[in-house]
Amino acid sequence: MTGPDFEGLLRHIRETADDEISCTECFALVPGYVDLEIAGRAAAAAPALRQHLDRCAVCREEYETLRDLARLDAEGRLPSIDDLRDSL
Amino acid sequence: MTLKARDNAQWLAALRSSGAEQAAALVELRAYTLRAALFALRRARGALGAMGRTEIEALAEDCAQEAVMAILKALDSFRGDSRFTTWAYSFAVNAALMTARRERWRRVPLDQVIEHGARVWAASGDGDDPERRALEDETATAVREAIEHCLTERQRQALTAVVFDGVPLDELARHWGSNRNALYKLLHDARRKLKAYLEVRFSSPPQPTLPGER
Repeated sequence: MTGPDFEGLLRHIRETADDEISCTECFALVPGYVDLEIAGRAAAAAPALRQHLDRCAVCREEYETLRDLARLDAEGRLPSIDDLRDSL
Repeated sequence: MTLKARDNAQWLAALRSSGAEQAAALVELRAYTLRAALFALRRARGALGAMGRTEIEALAEDCAQEAVMAILKALDSFRGDSRFTTWAYSFAVNAALMTARRERWRRVPLDQVIEHGARVWAASGDGDDPERRALEDETATAVREAIEHCLTERQRQALTAVVFDGVPLDELARHWGSNRNALYKLLHDARRKLKAYLEVRFSSPPQPTLPGER
């Protein structure tokens, strides 16, 4: 047993802000942020959102999946429904 | 199916219309959400264990339908700061990944995980084990003290389960009959308490060592 991961926790503690957005607020902001990212204009956008994504593993998983999905779609490379079914 | 290219305003107008125009828009929206749900479930395939293709396809259909219902309910809250389709995809991804996480943790007795977390926590802080203490630096000791002294039992359980044992926030929330926002707030409050404690602890100047104590 290596024991609890204090280092990761400590970083989150150190970066804790007095006000942080909720998961619902995060969900509302993510699509706009993803489209900004795809357009290459997200560098300094939405610090509160990025902070939440760093803390919240479930929101982060959903954001990363949406980002990759929307990027493939924008590039015309998203597999069709039939191809996705075949690859399950 | 060939999907009609629509801008945001056209999507909203079509979904708010009636008759054939609305029906066509709903069919297309359903195709978008199904594609997103299949994409998300394929990506989360590892969480679905031995589930076969037919079952996953059925899950994707359910998630796609759930997403369409959620989108229609939330239509007035669409702010137009993204493409409509990106916004719509987010509902399907959310439904699919929540389903995958539920499936992954469905057979895990969370009460036991929480209890086990508390035991590991207690064992890892065993003050009689000099070898372990030597491995722990001053910061880790301070974090441990802060967790022990500042947090409520519920905050300690949530922190241990989510941060150390990797239990998804929504699954722990479901287990406790709570919701994701409330649990995030519980953990945020916990982190704020720990931060305040550690700031005081590490802002104190080092105490001078008296010659007799060396």
